[in-house]
Amino acid sequence: MRTATVLSAVLAAGLTVGATTAEAQTSASIQATATVLSAITVTAGNNLQFGNVTPGVNKTVAIADGGAGTFSVAKGANTGVTLSFTLPTDLSTGGGDLLPIGSWTGGWNTAATPAGATLFTPSAGGSNTTVNAATALTVFVGATVSPAAAQAAGAYSGNVTMSVVYF
Amino acid sequence: MRFQLLLLLAALVAAPSATAQVRITGIRNLTFGPVIVGIPGSIAPSHPTKSGQFRITAPLNSKVQIRFTLPDALTGPSGAQLPITFGSNDAMAVGTAPGSTPITFNPKATRNPQFQPSTAYDVFIGGTVTPAGNQQPGSYAATITLTITNF
Repeated sequence: MRTATVLSAVLAAGLTVGATTAEAQTSASIQATATVLSAITVTAGNNLQFGNVTPGVNKTVAIADGGAGTFSVAKGANTGVTLSFTLPTDLSTGGGDLLPIGSWTGGWNTAATPAGATLFTPSAGGSNTTVNAATALTVFVGATVSPAAAQAAGAYSGNVTMSVVYF
Repeated sequence: MRFQLLLLLAALVAAPSATAQVRITGIRNLTFGPVIVGIPGSIAPSHPTKSGQFRITAPLNSKVQIRFTLPDALTGPSGAQLPITFGSNDAMAVGTAPGSTPITFNPKATRNPQFQPSTAYDVFIGGTVTPAGNQQPGSYAATITLTITNF
């Protein structure tokens, strides 16, 4: 009986040591994912043209008008982009005379026409387009100039800049 | 003697397996999202939504070693390869016990987390993908595996 007890103890100790030194592995996996998009290109199209304006009379160019400014955007398919603008508050003659400009309007379309364009208000903060399959967008820009009654005659201009990033 | 052997066997059968008590679960993919051709994109392990995440649970004072199996590239359209690299601080572990401090580490090295006082650890991983200038647009993916060796 005593022999049996010692044998059992030795056996138990051996098994215990074996269990302690045994190594077991378990694992889990996740995915690393990325979507590679083509670079965005933005091309200036038509200038925003008010033509002749009369002192004291506001003049508006709507996005559907022939004088609307345009930009072309080439982007990746099935993506959305943010359109951000740097807009002047005045047009200038370069000689110190200023012509206020504001009430900006915008529209973007997957076709090169303002008909059916999605309207938005151009701003520095940006406006998101929808995510769509198109790889080309046309952006139309309109605004209103407000010449004073004593507005100096001359040619006025300012820069309208659009930046585009994926969102 | 038979009785003692039976007791011994019963004890061995009844003893909980340490292996069974250590668990690892993939929680969240490492998601770079949109990256532009020619422009590298990085995700830090501390990113709250885009870093990869695993959760390890183990009994208090367990001795384990963790090891990542990392890809060199993600595979995309027609087998296109998007290189991915992992920096020396692109992995982070934090216990779930209150007051646990996140520890960054090299995902290319093994690590031995201390399951004291936490019995669960979240392991996060970031990385950098480097699309070439002529990288083919499309969706890319690869597998990241975290293996636990339980001593």
